[in-house]
Amino acid sequence: MKRKALSIFLASAMSLSMLAGCGSAADNGSAPADTTASEPAATETAATETAAASADVASEGEHELSVYAWDKNFNIPALEAAEKAYQTVDPDFKLNIVEQSASSDVENAITLAASSGDYSQLPDIVLFQDHYIQNYVTNYPDAWMDLEDAGIDWSDFGAEKLSYSTVNGKHYGAPVDNGTSVFAYRTDILEECGYTIDDVTGITWDRWLEIGRDVKAKTGKYLVSMDHNGDDLPYMMMQAEGKSQWKDGVPYFVGNEDLKAILNVIITGAKDGVIYLCNDWSEYTDTSIIGDQVAGVFNGNWIIPTMEQVAENSGKWAITTAPTLSGKEGYAANGGSSLYITGNCSKPELAKAFLAYTFGGGEGAIATYDDALRNGGVITCCISASKSAVYQEGVDFFNGQAIYTDIVAMGANVPVVEQNDYHYTARTQIQAAITNVINGADLDAELQQAEDQVKFEMGL
Amino acid sequence: MEKKNKMGLLAKQKAAGWLFLVLASAMIIVMSFYPMVQALITSFKTGSSANMQWASPLIYNYKRMFQDKMFMKSVGNTFLYLIVQVPIMLILAILLAQLLNNKDLKFRGLFRTFIFLPCAVSLVSYALIFRTIFATQGLINIILTNLGIINEGINWLGTTSTARIVIIIALIWRWTGYNMVFYLAGLQNIEYSVYEAAKIDGANGWKTFWYVTVPLLRPVIIMTFIMSINGTLQLFDESVNLTNGGPANTTITMSHYIYNNSFGQGVANFGYASAMSFFVFILVAILAIINLKVGDTRD
Repeated sequence: MKRKALSIFLASAMSLSMLAGCGSAADNGSAPADTTASEPAATETAATETAAASADVASEGEHELSVYAWDKNFNIPALEAAEKAYQTVDPDFKLNIVEQSASSDVENAITLAASSGDYSQLPDIVLFQDHYIQNYVTNYPDAWMDLEDAGIDWSDFGAEKLSYSTVNGKHYGAPVDNGTSVFAYRTDILEECGYTIDDVTGITWDRWLEIGRDVKAKTGKYLVSMDHNGDDLPYMMMQAEGKSQWKDGVPYFVGNEDLKAILNVIITGAKDGVIYLCNDWSEYTDTSIIGDQVAGVFNGNWIIPTMEQVAENSGKWAITTAPTLSGKEGYAANGGSSLYITGNCSKPELAKAFLAYTFGGGEGAIATYDDALRNGGVITCCISASKSAVYQEGVDFFNGQAIYTDIVAMGANVPVVEQNDYHYTARTQIQAAITNVINGADLDAELQQAEDQVKFEMGL
Repeated sequence: MEKKNKMGLLAKQKAAGWLFLVLASAMIIVMSFYPMVQALITSFKTGSSANMQWASPLIYNYKRMFQDKMFMKSVGNTFLYLIVQVPIMLILAILLAQLLNNKDLKFRGLFRTFIFLPCAVSLVSYALIFRTIFATQGLINIILTNLGIINEGINWLGTTSTARIVIIIALIWRWTGYNMVFYLAGLQNIEYSVYEAAKIDGANGWKTFWYVTVPLLRPVIIMTFIMSINGTLQLFDESVNLTNGGPANTTITMSHYIYNNSFGQGVANFGYASAMSFFVFILVAILAIINLKVGDTRD
């Protein structure tokens, strides 16, 4: 009896440990393997993904480059456009675009390569998120090559965009998509409530809240929504003020009156039904925007393709700047990415020439971005490339407004604010503070707690 | 001569056995024990993963986690799941097993399959499905509103208490059938004569269950307990995919926080993450030992 029970125990324990191997974290795999468990998993994906890339790097011809990117509807068409543009200079040129499932795959690939000290699996070039790059260049300097001698005219770019890819005074990245924020409104809904697009341009947040309450009462629609699981509202609103949540490299939450005022706007808005704080990204895009529950959208311009999925709202949208605390027009940016040459690149000359020609301004950039705009909706941050005819065209979805020219013009006005490697840590803590205050906590106490936690995670 | 030959065969067999053992052991050592030792070494280091330095003092990472309010919060959350979810799940599992062990029940196999089926669903997909069902505009809210039970959709995943309840419901749905199978196997193993004897002694259904079934199932109960504790302490998928730790980090689990420290937030801190993993390891070990001691009936 006992032996039988014991054998069941052993047999089930064995089958269990086999199950644990099937990649379920809630199973019995041994505890210390926890971090390491996620590591091999990630290595695995990285390995399978890079398998193609590394084979390419090895077998690559003299005129070939490999690159990682993650969005086949957005940045991959931009890279395809760049490949085509560079083929006019070098007809044999070939760009192997290796699609990643998300931007975090690129980040993890760099982390893993740098941690193991083996860069051979990396492609020649990677597309990398702006907010993360500072941290990665600081922590893994060997993983990158700077672009100082690539011959790019840096004055052709907005200062704010360059501030991300410039580390210790050196340019590391060729800026790609423009992250300039747009505040889009449904003009038909505004009209229904007795407002025009001019009434919501250059106003204070207080006035904006008033209009929002009015819109909510009359139409039941929120004036803006945001994914509160990765809440970029505080950051964008602070940037529109020209202010930062950082001061001399440390978090500046406590005693930061601007931050407090802005958080109060968000909290009041959320309580009054003016701002819809979604629990996750799909609720933000699918329910609030595509589900037609909002009369306004405030985010990086990459959100426009999401808005355009609601075909029946074509012609009803218009784009303007953000409100601010003082009532001046607010310019902000959110998201965006740039191209970086990795430490594994065997042909830095070719890579630099390619980036300089296609993304560095001039006719190559015009050719690249005209196609990138048509095929992927990628808007240039290269000022000279926005002078092309394609950019001057009106967009039907926005009632004929030449939004691309407007966005590039707005991008040039975005103020440079202090950034920090711990941007996302701060974002997590600030959004927790907002949630807690909405649920009745005290804002000052929450800000103190958030600041303490960010400082703690920074090791201060 | 004959004897010598036989010895030779035995020795050969032994050698073959050792060969098989060596291969398996080498795999385990390389794939499992070596990373564990490396993780232990890493847990005494700090700095970016490309350039790790010995921490000073060596136990810096271990001291740090006790001052880390976020980590302590994640420990609290994990234990909440453990204390609430594991007993409910195991009691449900044992009751279901008892019901489905009834020989007179029709479509037994079908019911067993239905209850076990959630286990065949991948952790990520079931978490995502639960997230969709409990979304503000999700199935549950639509049903409740249409039935007139609530006027406005409940923000299930945006409120701490309900988000935790959703995670616990999801866990129970996913794992009850899994544990039930172990109990069923255990029940098959109990001789029918024992029940007959109980019947002759005049024990009713409840008494038979409590005084015959439960004691005889004891080894299986202890095993499922250890497994569930272990599984819950390492809970990851539900926290990541169902709530992403929110709202305000009130549903984040230890493993999720450990992951965030190594990959999630772009700030790779492998030393600290390894140290926290060893904390989880020690917790699992302590709880397993307590369990074994409590369950040990030998005098």
